[in-house]
Amino acid sequence: MMEAQNWQLSNPILGLAVVGATFLLFYIVGFISNRKSASAKDLYIGGGNVGAFTNGLAMASTYMSLATFLGITALILQLQVPFIMLWIQLILAIPLITIIYGTSLRRMGAFSPTHFIRDRYGVTASIIAALFMILVSIMYALGQMIGIAITFETLLGIPYLTGLFVFGIIIVGYITIGGMAGATNNAAIQMVIIALMFIIPLGAIMKAVGADGWYFPPLFYSDMVPAMLESLPTFFDYQFSPKWYFSIIPALTIGALGLPHLAMRVYTASNLKSARSAMVWFAFILGLVFSATYAMGFVGVYATATQGLTISEGDADKLTIILNLVYNPEWVTALVIAGAISAGLSTLSGNLLAIGALISQDIIATLKPNIPQRLSLRIGFIAIFAGGLVSILLAIQPPAFLVVSILWAFGLAGVTNAPLIIVGVWWKEANKFGAIVASVVGGAIYIIVSPFVFPSIVLTGHGVTDGMGLSGAMLAVPISFILLIVVSYITNRMPGLQSKLTKQSDIELIERIHGWKDIKSYRYNSTVGAGITVVVSAAVAIWALMPWGM
Amino acid sequence: MKAYKKEVQFTVWMTVAFILVGNVGLIFSIFPVDAMLFGFPVMYIVPILMGWFGVFFLTIVAGKIGNRIDDEIDSENDALGVSDEVKDV
Repeated sequence: MMEAQNWQLSNPILGLAVVGATFLLFYIVGFISNRKSASAKDLYIGGGNVGAFTNGLAMASTYMSLATFLGITALILQLQVPFIMLWIQLILAIPLITIIYGTSLRRMGAFSPTHFIRDRYGVTASIIAALFMILVSIMYALGQMIGIAITFETLLGIPYLTGLFVFGIIIVGYITIGGMAGATNNAAIQMVIIALMFIIPLGAIMKAVGADGWYFPPLFYSDMVPAMLESLPTFFDYQFSPKWYFSIIPALTIGALGLPHLAMRVYTASNLKSARSAMVWFAFILGLVFSATYAMGFVGVYATATQGLTISEGDADKLTIILNLVYNPEWVTALVIAGAISAGLSTLSGNLLAIGALISQDIIATLKPNIPQRLSLRIGFIAIFAGGLVSILLAIQPPAFLVVSILWAFGLAGVTNAPLIIVGVWWKEANKFGAIVASVVGGAIYIIVSPFVFPSIVLTGHGVTDGMGLSGAMLAVPISFILLIVVSYITNRMPGLQSKLTKQSDIELIERIHGWKDIKSYRYNSTVGAGITVVVSAAVAIWALMPWGM
Repeated sequence: MKAYKKEVQFTVWMTVAFILVGNVGLIFSIFPVDAMLFGFPVMYIVPILMGWFGVFFLTIVAGKIGNRIDDEIDSENDALGVSDEVKDV
């Protein structure tokens, strides 16, 4: 009955008015919050003085990108339950960052994970790590830009490119003006908008398709299960082997530990207790919206399987908006679009602020430590704006599914940064030679086995699995851990290299960031722990090289 | 020594617990279950519930223990005589 069609609001003025009003709100909040941004510390970590509830909401909305509204539902449509299983563990990001290294880096007063890498491993390693992080942040920002342009295309029917440039530049301007204090307050507001604009319209859609549990959409849709099983018996199938489910851990669970814009949220906390409370709020609100996303995907598959709704492959990313257009009044869809834009905006601000911090603090200030505060701040603003511009330019030719490129970036962070941070915080022996080799070789392997550079050199041949970096990270992440530990262990014992190492200051740094005032040789020095990590990593890497049977 | 051991053990076991609770799908892919719960297949709804409420519960526990370990590190620092500070370097 419903043919593939041009999904658009018939009254674009309504949509524009709603989006315009939200933008105005964000500009005002950003302007007020940022009047006091006098130093780099204010710009990047909001003065290190953000309360737990605000910070928890901001963490959730920074993490919850436009993918919540656009990409995830498309991949649920394509991969069904395995993709839901993959998505669930993303909630671990902030809790694991907080317990494994976030509180230590907060105690150190770091702006970004790369700041820690510079103090721990020296300038060369930190610049390599920063370059990889800029690539990760740009890939991530690119995904948001594409999503924003697609949303405006759907909203107003304006061409993709026009929307990309006009709204892209407006958004980048807002982030540049707002800084982190503005971004944090706005991100908290955006989280509330995202939750309301996603869950309430979903309830209305569920009511329209006849579901009884419409009053609590995230979990109460089991009455649709029998009809779903009848028309699409395979929906709940796991489809893939345990190996596929295992590869999610190195690629995405560890990958998220290397994402700079998430870790930076932990550093904005006013103190360690507040950082730990923020992670509780984060888990609660993220679980709520994630569960609603699975429900939205479920309803989308249900509507296509039982209600005669047809969604072409090219429109899969727009599922959430299409469901609203079909089942809800137009003004509701306009609000949903405002929610989607908010989601993209909060993540994009996180990404661009990370790029600003990486370029001005981790590269320029590292190479030229004596530039004045004001100039450093100005470079930061320019870097944030330039990062936005680059992601706009890259979005001119977008990839098919926007989430795939974002998830691939997780793996790159997991290979090039996460091992350096984790091992660097917990093992005194880790040194700059190990860090440089791990980051460069691991990163190169990950890029080579991705389908983007040499399409014939891949591990599984299963497009989405290789594209999301699941297979590549399962090989490259453990290799990176092994190289870091083994190269450090050997170079620490080579007499010729001793003058190039900074053992004493490394030891002092590690004791200090864990909260100790003295130095004890037995602490953070376990050869057994390092050995176990090498053995487990080797087993995982070998498993990754064996046939995947896909 | 006590607070250090606690810190390391807490981080290792808490990390393992978080990874397990967030990846219940992996466990079901090894040990499939053919049953229904609240009207959904168990293999669908249990990973979702654990990935929300299970993780939420663990963050509360992790926050509490983390704060207590910080206090213990502080009290070991306070017990430290100025004279030991240079010793054992």
